[in-house]
Amino acid sequence: MKLLLVEDSERLQRSLSTGLKKHGFAVDQAFDGEEALAYTAVNQYDAIVLDLMLPKIDGLTVLSKLRNEGKDCHVLILSANDQTEDRVRGLDLGADDYLVKPFAFNELVSRLQALNRRRSGVKSPVIEIEGIKVDSVARQVSFDDQPVTLTPHEYQLLEFLARRRGRVFSHDQLIDQLYDAGSYVTRNAVEAHISALRKRLNSAGAPNLVITRRGFGYLIE
Amino acid sequence: MYSIRNKLNLTIIGSMIVVLSITAGFLYLRVSGHVAKVFDDAIYDKAQALISLTELDEEGLEFDFAEEGVMLEFQQHQLPQYYQLWENGVDLLIKSPLLGETDLPLIGTEPGAHQFADMTLPDGRNGRLIEINFLPRVEIEDDEEDEDYGAEIPPPKPVTMVFSRERESLDDTLFAIASTIFGVIVIVLLISGLLIWRLVGNGLSPLSNLAKQVSTIDESNLDARLNHEGAQSVEIAPIENQINHLLERLQSAFEREKRFSANAAHELRTPLSELKTLAEVAKMVPDDREQVLSFFDDIGEISGQMEKMVATLLELSRSEAGLLRTDPENIELAGFCEQIWLHAVNGQGADKVLRRHIPEGLVINTDREKLGMILSNLFVNAVSYSPDNAEIAINAEIRNDNVVLEVRNASIDLKPEDILHMKDRFWRKQKVHGESGHSGLGLTLVDALAGVMKLDVSLRLDNQQTFMVTISGLSPSVH
Repeated sequence: MKLLLVEDSERLQRSLSTGLKKHGFAVDQAFDGEEALAYTAVNQYDAIVLDLMLPKIDGLTVLSKLRNEGKDCHVLILSANDQTEDRVRGLDLGADDYLVKPFAFNELVSRLQALNRRRSGVKSPVIEIEGIKVDSVARQVSFDDQPVTLTPHEYQLLEFLARRRGRVFSHDQLIDQLYDAGSYVTRNAVEAHISALRKRLNSAGAPNLVITRRGFGYLIE
Repeated sequence: MYSIRNKLNLTIIGSMIVVLSITAGFLYLRVSGHVAKVFDDAIYDKAQALISLTELDEEGLEFDFAEEGVMLEFQQHQLPQYYQLWENGVDLLIKSPLLGETDLPLIGTEPGAHQFADMTLPDGRNGRLIEINFLPRVEIEDDEEDEDYGAEIPPPKPVTMVFSRERESLDDTLFAIASTIFGVIVIVLLISGLLIWRLVGNGLSPLSNLAKQVSTIDESNLDARLNHEGAQSVEIAPIENQINHLLERLQSAFEREKRFSANAAHELRTPLSELKTLAEVAKMVPDDREQVLSFFDDIGEISGQMEKMVATLLELSRSEAGLLRTDPENIELAGFCEQIWLHAVNGQGADKVLRRHIPEGLVINTDREKLGMILSNLFVNAVSYSPDNAEIAINAEIRNDNVVLEVRNASIDLKPEDILHMKDRFWRKQKVHGESGHSGLGLTLVDALAGVMKLDVSLRLDNQQTFMVTISGLSPSVH
């Protein structure tokens, strides 16, 4: 899941991005409203974590501009303003969720995962395909109730494709969706992750879910 | 609680009842007294007429009025009048034939005097009598003198006459007068009462309107203002104006309170949020020593920032509680400003310069520590909230034996209305990228410290977006 974290506190940026990456999110960081709009102009995000009190352009203006430009990515407002009218204003302007500071980091992760499930149309946190279960909360994969050990990159690939069954994603699309702007991931690296994922599933006795469409990309049918 | 309208109505109407009752009573007494006097005069005249018809001759007393057919009012049975005469007040001389066995009462009057009294007539009617004590007229006829020469007229003896007549006509007249007077008074009171009720209501309608408007105002509509239709009264206008001013101040205070809560929440929650996330994420990466150490650095920074905020808040509380004292000393202003600038900016405003326009050798006498804190806050704000490569200026000049200091800088996106809030606690126009040391308390502290030092701090924004802080009231050194 690719995130844009818009927060002017460098310290909060550091800790949040570290924790979110640890949970398998691809995180881009913007420190003010102007930077946030610049990122959204060239990247597609599954969700944006947006602070409201930002330098240059405030969070609500950023949100308003995003919606006016037709961008439908999920927006989770992360703000110290806890008044009902602040929440209502944020949600009315098109935010999908609102979390008041200080917050529990796990709650933020859960809310982002919930937004991701909503986006993919699969409500259950556990996706089951041909006996393979992908638990997006525990971030675990199992086959016939036996755990299948995957690296974070392999898990990300599997969950991403599993949530979007039937859709073909090119190398570039996968790089764009699964890795943050600071990660210099190549096509070869994606191929290597796909190959490793297939091997791990095979060694667990699971069917090969990830199918290659030559010249187009990869999908799970 | 009482109603002003009811109280006014009752007071005015009550006063009117008292005044009109006294007037009516006085009028009645005057008129009835006059009517009674006219009645008594008539009785007196009649009595005098009877006296003139009483004469003494050689044959004794003659009562011409008693002759049959002379004065029918003493003889008729319908509404008769009565008389009775005594000699020396004891011996009955004559009385109305209609009295029969009954006597008229004797009061006892001095010779030559008369008096009136009320009585009940023998026929049962209310009556009034006059008792006159007189000497009868002596009748001397010339021809009789000649014929009866030698006959002597006895000396006259005092005769007491009582004449009485009914007084129902008087009573009826007095009753009519009383009825008229009191009837008129009652009607006047009724009409006046209605008029007063109406007029007082109309007169108090601006007050009622004011009360009605005020009763609809609560904390949810403090933006409401009192208004009126038509001309304003001189009595209500100051109340309305004062309430409107009060509402303005109340609204402003509510908004300031609201802003304060939101800003304070933000300034306190953000570092808390940072600490919480750092702690939670650090637990997720226990093996990444470098990351964990950087988190510890962050925690140290946050603690320092919060410590500074708490120290500022404590300083503000002390100044408000009057616990801060000033310790004045002589300070060479130009060098002091340079020193504070270098210490406050500490490399963060490397692209910004301080232009000093301070007379060389100008020495002021003030509290070094507090002036240092004031200037430090102003310099840090000027550096943080001015465009890149901006020039910060500090000017000093002597006006009216006082040193006036002015710190000015080009501002970013500041609006004139922001000036009103800049001294509020935790107020910030907007965050500056990467800032972590600001909490929106700087100008609040500057204002509080200036108050302790008896200085005046004013903020201005000119048309060229230059923000100016002027500190006046500094004393130049006498040495």
